Amino acid sequence: MRILLTAAFIGAMAVPAAADYTIMAPAAPGGGWDQTARTMQAVLRDEGIAESVQVVNVPGAGGTIGLAQFVNQARSNPEQLIVGGYVMVGAIETNNSPVNLEMVTPIARLTGEQLAVVVPAASEIETMDNLVARLRENPGAVAWAGGSAGGADHILAGLIAQAADVDPTLINYIAFSGGGEALAAILGGQVTAGISGYSEFASQVEAGELRVLALSGEEPVEGVDAPTLRDAGLDVALENWRMVLAGPDLTEEQVAAITADMEAMATSDSWQEALAARGWVDRFLTGEELEQQLAEDIAATQAILRDIGLVQ
Amino acid sequence: MDTFVLLAQGLAGAMEPMNLLYALIGVTIGTAVGVLPGIGPALTVALLLPVTYRLDPGGSLIMFAGIYYGGMYGGSTTSILLNTPGESASIITALEGNKMARAGRGGPALATAAIGSFVAGLLATLALAFVAPWVVRFALSLGPADYFALMVLAFVTVSAALGDSALRGLTALFIGLALATVGIDLQTGQARMTFGIPDLLDGIEVTTLAVALFAVGETLKMAASPSAGAEKIEAVKGSVWMSREDWKRSWKPWLRGTLIGFPIGSMPAGGADVASFLSYSAERSFARHPEEFGNGAIEGVAGPEAANNASAAGTLVPLLTLGLPTTATAAIILAAFQQFGLQPGPLLFANNAELVWSLIASLLVANLMLIVLNLPMIGLWVRLLTIPRHWLYAGILSFATLGTIGANPSVFELGLLLAFGLLGYGLRRFDYPIAPVVVGLILGPLAEQQLRRALAIAQGDPVILVSSPVALVLYGIAIVAVLVPLILRLRGRGKVLAQLASDED
Amino acid sequence: MSTGNPRRPDRPVLVIAAALFALAALIVWQTREMQVAATYARVGPRQFPYVVAAGLAALGVGTVIAALRGSFPEREKEEFGPMAWIVAGLVIQMLILRTAGFSVATGILFALSARGFGRRPVWLSFLIGTVFSFLIWILFARGLQLSLPAGPLERLFF
Repeated sequence: MRILLTAAFIGAMAVPAAADYTIMAPAAPGGGWDQTARTMQAVLRDEGIAESVQVVNVPGAGGTIGLAQFVNQARSNPEQLIVGGYVMVGAIETNNSPVNLEMVTPIARLTGEQLAVVVPAASEIETMDNLVARLRENPGAVAWAGGSAGGADHILAGLIAQAADVDPTLINYIAFSGGGEALAAILGGQVTAGISGYSEFASQVEAGELRVLALSGEEPVEGVDAPTLRDAGLDVALENWRMVLAGPDLTEEQVAAITADMEAMATSDSWQEALAARGWVDRFLTGEELEQQLAEDIAATQAILRDIGLVQ
Repeated sequence: MDTFVLLAQGLAGAMEPMNLLYALIGVTIGTAVGVLPGIGPALTVALLLPVTYRLDPGGSLIMFAGIYYGGMYGGSTTSILLNTPGESASIITALEGNKMARAGRGGPALATAAIGSFVAGLLATLALAFVAPWVVRFALSLGPADYFALMVLAFVTVSAALGDSALRGLTALFIGLALATVGIDLQTGQARMTFGIPDLLDGIEVTTLAVALFAVGETLKMAASPSAGAEKIEAVKGSVWMSREDWKRSWKPWLRGTLIGFPIGSMPAGGADVASFLSYSAERSFARHPEEFGNGAIEGVAGPEAANNASAAGTLVPLLTLGLPTTATAAIILAAFQQFGLQPGPLLFANNAELVWSLIASLLVANLMLIVLNLPMIGLWVRLLTIPRHWLYAGILSFATLGTIGANPSVFELGLLLAFGLLGYGLRRFDYPIAPVVVGLILGPLAEQQLRRALAIAQGDPVILVSSPVALVLYGIAIVAVLVPLILRLRGRGKVLAQLASDED
Repeated sequence: MSTGNPRRPDRPVLVIAAALFALAALIVWQTREMQVAATYARVGPRQFPYVVAAGLAALGVGTVIAALRGSFPEREKEEFGPMAWIVAGLVIQMLILRTAGFSVATGILFALSARGFGRRPVWLSFLIGTVFSFLIWILFARGLQLSLPAGPLERLFF
């Protein structure tokens, strides 16, 4: 037993020691941010960009708990990174978070994923128009399944209602705690429609269990037989992106060094392979363009959260 | 039969000496991390998954299976020996298991847990291979109303764990329910009972509460109580191994636990903890000596341990057949599959038959490895109890904080650990049972969210709660579960009272 | 069955009852503060806390009755000195974890807990505890990539 343990231990120790980056995933193991952080860990190490990378999970409240800890711990420390994304923007608003993204240093946007609006294959609803018609008739009769209240899925449901001239405070949104649970409710026909990242639905769509009514992005996705919401006549576009941020009070040189590392990571073959395996789209963006994009998203999110009634 | 040929091929692959070694390493490190209180299977698998990437697909799959089962099993050892449940599914194990360990029967308790886990893992993995498509049809047909009924059943039957005083048992349960109100409400995004503290937004972590109430509370009580200091814990009394009587009393609970655990694990909103609660209450009502419950009944270890392992295999049913990750652990397994180039989903069995079968074969082999590794270790494990008290409890506290720090390195979480540890001491001092607090924290939010989902879908019409046959059956069982013991108690009143009187010191 | 003392109310149990009432009041107060929009479920985020508060209050009443009857099990006299050592150990570990690192902080917890169980001298237990924690740190933080805070001691070697 002891020999084995030692063997296993030495096997794992093959990873060199000195810590280069500690990446905080402000979510429980298994979620999108956790997977992003662990994929970064693997790629940074395998490509020799960093010698050792640790992942820390600080779950809860759309990432705001992790962010609050991060702001304190990572001050002037160029070895600490945190993964975040669109959901965090919304969560900062709905939770009245004492910290926000302006208190940290955005490094790079990494990936993006379109959301999909789906119905079970057996549903009478064939198109987005059918769904909108039902929504206009009686918003309460359309039960939407998705992730937690105030998240990207909920925001998209609100935006769709708004674009269809339905009062967004009247949507009947049912929150589920994990992607799997929401998907089960949709497949089982417990709800009218579901919203989530397209990759979560992909295999069900291929198998003909679900029908995609529309995708949320600006462009249609190759191989998916569904229009964008714009093409379906609703003026809505939303992408659930993920990014990496560093701590407050870093020097310009430090920020440049981290950015260079992230760029090396994002352009590597193993990163591209990992993205393909997970169905994520490369949305690498840094510098001023990133900041501009971020500011726009924050303003738009604040507006819709007020309209849905989640933020006063 | 195609299925058998494929399974045989998978087994042949998994049995290669090198793969057996990988399975053994996987099981060993899985157990080593899984044994830490507060670090459940999800984090264990997430942490150790990168280790498997360095191997070829076959080897990495089998090592992963070992880590998964090792992580699941690790929690029960500390539950039984140290009264420190590592994760929510082994809380119930601590109830009877630790009582047995204190009476010198730690060996049989660990053995029945290990063999029960093996039997359940074996049967449930076979069930996964042969009946998954049918089970999943049924699981998908369940809606929030049915889950609410399941939670009601769990609440009703779990009163078996409430201890001998209804007042103190219910008070403990309601303390748990009160803690369950802390955090963001999932349906509306509103913060409840957080007092503006960001760390409370995510609610109280079940493992933190369990580790604090059990490990820290127990340590404080042991230090404070003069009589506990005088009490001698005998590590081994009688045989380390299970006696014929133990076997006779264990095999039925193993099967019943499997029968309860597998379907509940395969339900998208089930879960190993709920399965272990239901199994415990079932064993209590089937037991020939119900008065032994609370004092170290072996059935109370055998059933729940089988149930939580069967439930772990059950989780793979929606994962492999539909690509539905219904637990955090399953979500990580999904990520692992993608690494192996598999896309779980309805087409997995059709497109990747070979790999699926080698995974199932790997699970069977890992399960076997687990018992090969653990049975001989039992003699060593029970020696833990011979460590002098001051080192033992200092060590327990070190491991309890290690688990908490490893899962979430925040000062606030350690503060909660201390606060709940003091609560645990207070509860023990006044003879309140501990388990219902944790049960309340786990079941409260499940019941509330399912109820509100059901009502929202029906736009507020309460008829939905009783309009499905499954829900009605579950309510029926709940009513029977309340009435039958009541009738039995009324009929056998004299006997039970006599028993109680003779138990009193 | 426990007989208790019918003449004198059990004071500590009355304190428990008071704590239950206070907890119920706290829940009601916090829940009333919430601003809640109408939902289709009719059962909103407020009902569950109210039910819990009502339950706690009812159990508080039951506890008062139990206190007056003296029907709680008898308690032995307990020593709080040993407990204080352990609580101090947990507090110190919590406070110095980030700066001193896992091994030293846990070493102190280990030593003070052992002291709580009567083991002396503290410095020896501290040495044992720190070495023990350091080995654990190597195994879990370096070997298995679990994130445990490093301090000066850990940095000396890694």
